[in-house]
Amino acid sequence: MNGHVKNMYFHQFMTPTTLLSLLLLMAVDSTRTVAASRHQQCAIALQQTLKLTKLVQTESVNLIKTYKSSQGEMSELFCKVSVNDIPDPNISGLEPSERIVSVYTHLQAFNSHVKRVYEQQTDLQLPTSPLLMELSTVSVRSRDLAVLINSFYQSLFPNLPIPEPAGGPTTLPPPQNVFQQKVYGCVVLKTYKGFLSNVAKELRTLKTKVCRRGTQTNML
Amino acid sequence: MVFARGLQLLVLASLTSVVVRCDRPTKPVNLSCEAVQEEKSIFKTITCEWDSSGSQSESVPTTYTLIVKKTSTDEIYNISTQLKRAELDLDTYPNHMNLDVWVTARNKLGTVESDHLIHDANYFVKPNPPSDVQILSENGFSTSLLINWIHPINKVYVELKYQIRFAPRGSHQWTYVPLMDTAKYIQSFRLQNLQPDTKYVIQVRCKNSVYDYGYWSDWSTNATNRTPEDRPTSKPDLWRIDEDNQQWQIISKDPVFSNGKIKSFEIRIESHRSKEWGSIPVNRSDADSSTGNREITFLKKMQIADDRSVKVYVNATNSVGKSPEGLLFIPAKAQGGVLAPVEDLKVWPEGGQLWVEWNAPKPMSVQEYVVEWVSGGWLDWQRENKSTRRTAIKGILEKFVCYNVSVYPIYSGWLGKPARTEAYLEQQAPLRGPNVKLKGDPGRNEAELVWEEIPLHSRGGFITNYTIHYSSGAETHNRKVPANITSYRLTGLSGGTKYDTWIEASTIRGSTNGSNHSFTTLKYAPGEIEGIVVGVSLGCLFVIVTIMLFCLYKKDVLKENFWPQIPNPGESTIGNWSPDYPLRAEPPKENCLSGISVLDVHMCDAKCVFEEDKTSLSLKKDKYLSEEHSSGIGGSSCMSSPRQSVSDSDEGGDMADTTSSTVQYSSVVASSGYKGQTPSSQPQQSIFSRSESTQPLLDSEENPDMMVQEGSRQFQHFARQPRFAECAGNEDTADFDRLRMEPQEANESLDFCPLEEDNEQIAPPDRLSAEWLPVKPASSYMPQLGGYRPQ
Repeated sequence: MNGHVKNMYFHQFMTPTTLLSLLLLMAVDSTRTVAASRHQQCAIALQQTLKLTKLVQTESVNLIKTYKSSQGEMSELFCKVSVNDIPDPNISGLEPSERIVSVYTHLQAFNSHVKRVYEQQTDLQLPTSPLLMELSTVSVRSRDLAVLINSFYQSLFPNLPIPEPAGGPTTLPPPQNVFQQKVYGCVVLKTYKGFLSNVAKELRTLKTKVCRRGTQTNML
Repeated sequence: MVFARGLQLLVLASLTSVVVRCDRPTKPVNLSCEAVQEEKSIFKTITCEWDSSGSQSESVPTTYTLIVKKTSTDEIYNISTQLKRAELDLDTYPNHMNLDVWVTARNKLGTVESDHLIHDANYFVKPNPPSDVQILSENGFSTSLLINWIHPINKVYVELKYQIRFAPRGSHQWTYVPLMDTAKYIQSFRLQNLQPDTKYVIQVRCKNSVYDYGYWSDWSTNATNRTPEDRPTSKPDLWRIDEDNQQWQIISKDPVFSNGKIKSFEIRIESHRSKEWGSIPVNRSDADSSTGNREITFLKKMQIADDRSVKVYVNATNSVGKSPEGLLFIPAKAQGGVLAPVEDLKVWPEGGQLWVEWNAPKPMSVQEYVVEWVSGGWLDWQRENKSTRRTAIKGILEKFVCYNVSVYPIYSGWLGKPARTEAYLEQQAPLRGPNVKLKGDPGRNEAELVWEEIPLHSRGGFITNYTIHYSSGAETHNRKVPANITSYRLTGLSGGTKYDTWIEASTIRGSTNGSNHSFTTLKYAPGEIEGIVVGVSLGCLFVIVTIMLFCLYKKDVLKENFWPQIPNPGESTIGNWSPDYPLRAEPPKENCLSGISVLDVHMCDAKCVFEEDKTSLSLKKDKYLSEEHSSGIGGSSCMSSPRQSVSDSDEGGDMADTTSSTVQYSSVVASSGYKGQTPSSQPQQSIFSRSESTQPLLDSEENPDMMVQEGSRQFQHFARQPRFAECAGNEDTADFDRLRMEPQEANESLDFCPLEEDNEQIAPPDRLSAEWLPVKPASSYMPQLGGYRPQ
């Protein structure tokens, strides 16, 4: 047999239909691989965000304890006072993207207030006070969490920029007296703790929703 | 010029390139970072290390910069150093944030960057070990222990996994729990399949649960607890000590799996017609049981009859229950020979152990083997299964100690005959040498040495030989003898010499000298002195006896020579002679002087006369001499020194000379009688007399005529001769010679001792010697011809 005959057989075998099917199969397979990879990356990113959320949440619980123990008498009452202009701890939105954006914007707002509390407590506490260190730590981790949320959102929704908050940036309270500062600080930290708990829940929910549906979303 | 310039530039470029190659910073490699836990969280400082093949140069120093970047926020932290290690403060350790870590090396000649470490911050975390590790022992779970601990850090920071290891107390060999069983965020774990009633030491450590993340923490501090007791699950190890041929001691080791403290042994002994039961309590402290060695308990002493076999059954009991039954069957002595021993038993040290090897006895089937080793009063044993032919002794053996190693085959529980040998785990030179001493007394050339064997505990090994050293100071000798010899006879020694001797005992590892013993050999061999003394004594005795015999048998001769009997002139016929009495002629005796006549002869004739006199005289020369010698003989002390008598002098020389040299002290008148002749009865006209006086003759004496007249007086003179001679004896011996005067000189006045008229001196006539004949009275001596020979 010569090569020419072989080539003739090969050509008879590889019909256009077969070839097309093969190509399609390869495309689908590569798509699945990519999808799986994306899913894995989504899960990793989400997991990382969730871990940081839990960390900040845990640290916020300890922070409140430290805060109360640093404010002297009647500290238990401070957190029960109602204060205006504190960000809402609840997450809004229907779609995952909306909810992620809500998490992000709330985080940004709470970070501003936590920063304000840190500044106020700097005047009220000794420089070596553990409260200040914990406030600083929570503040840093909150910023990191916001970045992770943003990064996660970008990975999920690269074509959807995060919109600006509807009411504009959060409003910080005017200068306050010591009592007001103490009350304000306690309320902010308590509310923030609640918010972080909501974030953790949200991220767990998103894990099943977003990372598996990531491919479909992108395709949409 | 141009060429030179170009050459300069070329050289400069080369130098520059060399410098550059030498000093350019090298790329940092093997970058590793670690973030440790502090209190409840991760410390904010990260510590990184790296390697660099280049070294610091003073001229071109290299600066390293550690850079940590939060990839999400692009925040950068850095620190510079010239070391290869740096600690970087990150304000707050960014848990769950990605970090990019690298190191740059920079100097004047350039910058080089290390590889980047891009990981989650938890990748670098090293947590603290688990805290408060506790071990719980639960009754009813004798093979299990529950371990509890506390997480060192909240899982929100780092989720951990754990690893557990445990070991029986006293053992350095850890057993690790499989990681898959504990690689979880757990705080407790149940260890299983442990040994009952055993103390265990347990440790726990932890690490980031993410695969390949972080570093293992240090192991927690030791946590210890003992598993609960359980009933013994193996049988006690029965054995026996053969104290003497009739009595055995049954002993037992605790079961291998005692699972608790053995409180008693239940023993049952069955023999031909009897059965015994007993319970032996065990009193043992906790310290004894904690050593890990199986204790040996003495159970019972038994009398073994030669014709009886015995079966022994033993159970060990602890607080939970009873062990399986151990047994030992001891055959009767008569039957023991049927149970053949092992063959070709060998024992040797190797690798710090004592190895035992043997061949199975034929053709019997062995159930198991028992290897026993005994040293001094200490005994131990171990069991080996029936297929074993070589094993190492597992007990603790001491070096330089002799062990009696035996292998017993067990035939269905019956104890077989042992095969035995001795062995050392390690040998050394003997600790001391043998003490040598002498056996008996040393001889002149030999001595027998004897020594005792070195005690077993000081031997240190098998004695291969003894070397006997002996030294006289000048030189040292040695003799090698086998080890089974304890005495030796030294020969070829020098007499009267002090020897130092000592014995050197040798093993394969060295030698040791024993004590020094000194002895001195005899100067004379035993009996030699006695022999000498006896010999000398015998010799002396022999000489004495000989002398005595000689004296006895030759006493006459001696008497004649040494004690000549001086005739007493008083007893002679001359002495008794008186004019009134006729001269009684006596028959001449054989050996007496007879026939002496004083002749008036000429010199030559005198010579003849003298010669005749000599022949006729029976007096020996010696007699004269001896008489002359003796001072006691007739008192002739004047003749004490040997000197020649007149007769001697006559013999010795010319007669004429002799005659001339002698002093005539007597003159012999010829008579009718010569020797042997019987003098006639007729009175002799001629008288003769002889005197041994050394005094020269007086004129009167020289004239015989004068002698007749003075006969009696002369006898008195003769009788006094000893005294006379005695007087003369006081003078020098030369006086004797002076007496030998010429006849003419004889006329000269001579010094004579004054004659003493002493009647006592007159010897009785019957005592007169036959030699003396009456002299012519009243006549003086006839002058000698030739006269006296002057001195």
